[in-house]
Amino acid sequence: MADDKLTPSQPQIPAPAAAARPVTRRNFLWTAWGAFAAFLGASAGAMGRYMFPNVLYEPSQIFKAGRPEDYPLGVSTKLLKEQRVWVVRTPGSIYALWARCTHLGCTPNWFDAEKRFKCPCHGSNFTIEGDVIAGPAPKPLNRCSVSLLATGEILVDKSVLETRPGFREKSQFSIPLAGA
Amino acid sequence: MKSLEQIKKEVIDHPIWRSMFRGGKWHDTARDRAQHIIGNVWLHLHPAKLRKRAVRFTYTWGLGGLSFGLFFVLTVSGILLMFYYRPTVELAYQDIKDLEFVVTTGAFWRNFHRWAAHLMVLVVIFHMIRVFLTGSYKTPREFNWVVGVVLLVLTLLLSFSGYLLPWDQIAIWAITVGSNMASNSPVLGAEGPFSVMNIKNDARFMLLGGTYVGESALLRFYVLHCVAFPFLAGAFMIVHFWRVRKDGFSAAPLDPADRNEEKLDVWPNLVVREYLYAVLILALLIAWSILVKAPLEEIADLNVTPNPAKAPWYFLGLQELLVYFDPWIAGVLLPTLIVAGLAAVPYIDNNPRGVGYYSLRERPFASAFFIFGIVMWFVLIAIGTFMRGPNWAWYWPWEDWIHHKPPPPPTWSLPNLAGVLALGCYFGLGLVLPKLVRKDIPFRKACWTGTAAIAAAAVGLKFLLAALGAGVQLGWGQLLWLVFSLDLYYLFGFLMPQKHIRDLSWARYVLTMFFLLATIGVMLKVGLRLGFNVKYIFSLQQFSFNI
Repeated sequence: MADDKLTPSQPQIPAPAAAARPVTRRNFLWTAWGAFAAFLGASAGAMGRYMFPNVLYEPSQIFKAGRPEDYPLGVSTKLLKEQRVWVVRTPGSIYALWARCTHLGCTPNWFDAEKRFKCPCHGSNFTIEGDVIAGPAPKPLNRCSVSLLATGEILVDKSVLETRPGFREKSQFSIPLAGA
Repeated sequence: MKSLEQIKKEVIDHPIWRSMFRGGKWHDTARDRAQHIIGNVWLHLHPAKLRKRAVRFTYTWGLGGLSFGLFFVLTVSGILLMFYYRPTVELAYQDIKDLEFVVTTGAFWRNFHRWAAHLMVLVVIFHMIRVFLTGSYKTPREFNWVVGVVLLVLTLLLSFSGYLLPWDQIAIWAITVGSNMASNSPVLGAEGPFSVMNIKNDARFMLLGGTYVGESALLRFYVLHCVAFPFLAGAFMIVHFWRVRKDGFSAAPLDPADRNEEKLDVWPNLVVREYLYAVLILALLIAWSILVKAPLEEIADLNVTPNPAKAPWYFLGLQELLVYFDPWIAGVLLPTLIVAGLAAVPYIDNNPRGVGYYSLRERPFASAFFIFGIVMWFVLIAIGTFMRGPNWAWYWPWEDWIHHKPPPPPTWSLPNLAGVLALGCYFGLGLVLPKLVRKDIPFRKACWTGTAAIAAAAVGLKFLLAALGAGVQLGWGQLLWLVFSLDLYYLFGFLMPQKHIRDLSWARYVLTMFFLLATIGVMLKVGLRLGFNVKYIFSLQQFSFNI
């Protein structure tokens, strides 16, 4: 590259570098509109995210439900008003059903004579196990996580739920009662 | 002593009056009448002159103007209610009670606001029906019809969001059911098909600001009801009215009998009528609000659902469909399809006839389909309102709700393969068949012979099954459902399109037939459930995707 070498006495004219090329109108507008669209998109995203609260002031989902001996065989509705939960005692086990219809979230009623839960909103019927026997509900009733404390009391956690047959009978969702 | 005339003259000629109202002495001339409209900011929404037919009451029924009038009085009464209402769980219900029993005329304003809201929903729906039946959505008014559909949706949202504010039992349960539909949206709802969300980040959570209808939900609905939705409705109304004005008002065409008809001056002919209708409906509303109390139930309780729990009347049709479909269909898909279908109407219907007057004969297919949809909507509402009792069981209006009703019979689902085949055949054949028949079938004759053939075939099937002693037998009720379903499909899904829309371009034809088949399909699924106890036609339980 000896030819390119200029003698110091000659005025130096630098060749325009690629980056220094003047920005065309087209490119400038593309960039500007692109940035504006990105700004609008990010603003919409931020507003959307703003609508999701990070802290909820909702009551605790965990509560004590007394001792298994307190419950006679069958469906107990005594916790329905306060906790929206039915405690069901069968000869071999005890479990807690969340009293929320899997259709659209209404609270069903227990009809002891017919041995059914019936939902007042759209007429879904459930068995004592929580299985759908009539009406539009797509899934069985949810069972809450239950455990037996050292004090002999039942601890119910409404935030851990199970609806699938086969899984809902597992120990986390049902307390076996030996010799009951 | 000055006479009244002199005082009036002096007031009108006074510089202060002139600075406010401009204009000079009133001469009752065409020029002054036009000037009165053009020179007034409130009146200049009108053109100066209109065709005679456009002013006739039985043409528009004044429904568009009444919709706006009701929106206006709802704004006024709503602002008054806001002075006493605090949107918190502890105070909301008490404030409504205060309005009822402590605040002077408080009960009146609450009644007025409630009844005007119901009336507005009704009037807006009838405005849409009127515009459809007079073909007033056709060129150049296509887009304004779409704006109108948006306003209809906003009217329903306004009414529905206000439903929660009294914080009584019916409020909280209507919103619980309504917001649970959001959690049944496909993908974005925690309980919807193919969900990728949980209850703390899905669509319902965003709407309620919590996992159930509580404090934050009440505040959100308050802000939506009092600020966000009225603001949006106002913005769309500005566009709607501007376009109404630019497109020459209601689409009344030239009188074919009198091509040189004189146009009418809008002042006073139309303006007087508008004020007359407004005054009449206001008088009716005031009387109604004095005589009939707005309902208020016990304070909201999330652990006790009233039995039956009913949505506001305009959503009872959808609630009735919730019995036959999963929530993602009845609560999300069908409303979306209805709104999308309505918005698409002016772009699909390219029949140029029937603009500006009632004519069923010139638009047989469009009118029949639309009226069928509207009748279906109101019949379902009537069933939900009058026929449904405790546990959503069927009660005739004259039956007492203490009567015990047997629970619905157990249901079964079609095997998935059969279901896919049935759905594919229904939509596939439904799309192709009307186009395949090239020759015009005489409608009236085919209508009766076809119906007779279907009935005969069904009765034949019943007796064939009985004679064979087959495991499956057909009851008379099932027979009726079978004939009804097949005939409905034959008349609406085959004969009508075969005669009237066969020649549409492919895109328009496919869209029309899709909406038509979906509408009929809803009725067919209802028939399958009521007649044959079918729960799902197609079901993927693990994805909550059930049809």
